[in-house]
Amino acid sequence: MSEKKHKVRDIFIEGPIDPQFVADSLAKHATRMDIGAHELFLGQVRADGVAGADDRPSATTVEAIAFTAYRDMALERMTDIREEAFALWPSMICLHVHHSLGRIPAGQLCFFVFASSPHRKAAREAVAWVVDRIKADLPIFGKEIFADETHTWKTNRSVDPSGRPDHQ
Amino acid sequence: MRVHLFGILAEKAGSDVVELEGAATDELRAEFRRRFPNTKGLMFAMAVDRKVVNGNQPLNGNEEVAMLPPFAGG
Repeated sequence: MSEKKHKVRDIFIEGPIDPQFVADSLAKHATRMDIGAHELFLGQVRADGVAGADDRPSATTVEAIAFTAYRDMALERMTDIREEAFALWPSMICLHVHHSLGRIPAGQLCFFVFASSPHRKAAREAVAWVVDRIKADLPIFGKEIFADETHTWKTNRSVDPSGRPDHQ
Repeated sequence: MRVHLFGILAEKAGSDVVELEGAATDELRAEFRRRFPNTKGLMFAMAVDRKVVNGNQPLNGNEEVAMLPPFAGG
């Protein structure tokens, strides 16, 4: 289970992330006696409300997000982010990242970042940093599909309009 | 050369790949805007060989080029 070999891993899962997958992932770490802390981030599709517009006669809510990605670039960038994370938090024992592709209904999980370390500080800090980096740097695109079948394209707030991360 | 499109750009162009001619990324941008006036006002970054381009990058025609609307992962 050593994660310190930075080969390109496929982070993408077709469809929602099953909570059982999260539990199974956690359970697999029971054999690692050097781990003292796990930190998990789970992203869930939120049923945001939107007002009416020219092409949308009345207010509606997000029913699902359809995710697509520039897969090869995303996986290369994720490999770099993983290497940077292990360099920044050398005590981190393992780091797992999963992101959904395809149509994910509101209420379902679409993003899972999981770090383990001997003590809580490294895992906590690493997960927060990795989540921010992924949102800013990975070419993943999200179409928010509304209950009335109209849609809009999601944009992460921390990303500038050119698509480049602004690093705050 | 083949240019890969994603997200709203693929939707507006009606395809996830377009053939565009240009010796640098800015030329591909300009031709894309001419071919698809319905993308007016949509901002996008470009990637060459899976790296985001800053500024205008010359091309030899053998690169993997992509146009990337704002990211929305997570």
